[in-house]
Amino acid sequence: MSEPVRIQPEDFSQDEEIAALKASSTRMGGIATFLGCARDFSAGHSVSEISFEAYGSMALSEMRTLREEAITRFGLLDARIVHRVTTVKAGDNIVFIAAGAEHRAAAFDACRWMIDELKQRVPIWKKEITPQGDTWVTPHP
Amino acid sequence: MIKVLFFGPVAERIGRREMQLDFTPGMTLHDVTHDIGMQHPGALSIVSFFAVNQQQVRDKQIALQDGDEIAFMAKFSGG
Repeated sequence: MSEPVRIQPEDFSQDEEIAALKASSTRMGGIATFLGCARDFSAGHSVSEISFEAYGSMALSEMRTLREEAITRFGLLDARIVHRVTTVKAGDNIVFIAAGAEHRAAAFDACRWMIDELKQRVPIWKKEITPQGDTWVTPHP
Repeated sequence: MIKVLFFGPVAERIGRREMQLDFTPGMTLHDVTHDIGMQHPGALSIVSFFAVNQQQVRDKQIALQDGDEIAFMAKFSGG
């Protein structure tokens, strides 16, 4: 079975991730998932591709910590986080998060919390490749 | 030696992804930041986070050890 937290260039299968999550416990009554995918339009301009870069070892460590924190904080039975680091085109998958709990409320809350925290805490950067040139998506400090 | 890593937009501004600095006893993260800032004026203005050995640090007065790995990072934009 694949690791529950991964950074990889290749695409992932939501079905396989959910199956792996379900296999961890038959007490699971609710699973919430988030799928982040690439858009072809951002901040008023067309986007051809999005290229990702990560501080791989730290990003993986942060994602593992994030998963453990979510399991404890929301009483999850299991959780999975997969982020692609490669160049993607519009419609391609980028990130998948799944939270499994006994009941739906904890699953929903944890899933939202994990993607929000990932964006704040995990050292991954995206560059939008547009017909006008390439731009790093970097909020001002 | 101190290994300094740059990623994404910071690497683009610095023009490289990694540099090695000689370690001197008492060296702090602030010293490294100051030196690199002098070599690459303006390049660090987008740096929001620092990590030492893959742990985020906020206190730039932290004393470094020989062999430490430092990362200069812009705001994250994953997900």
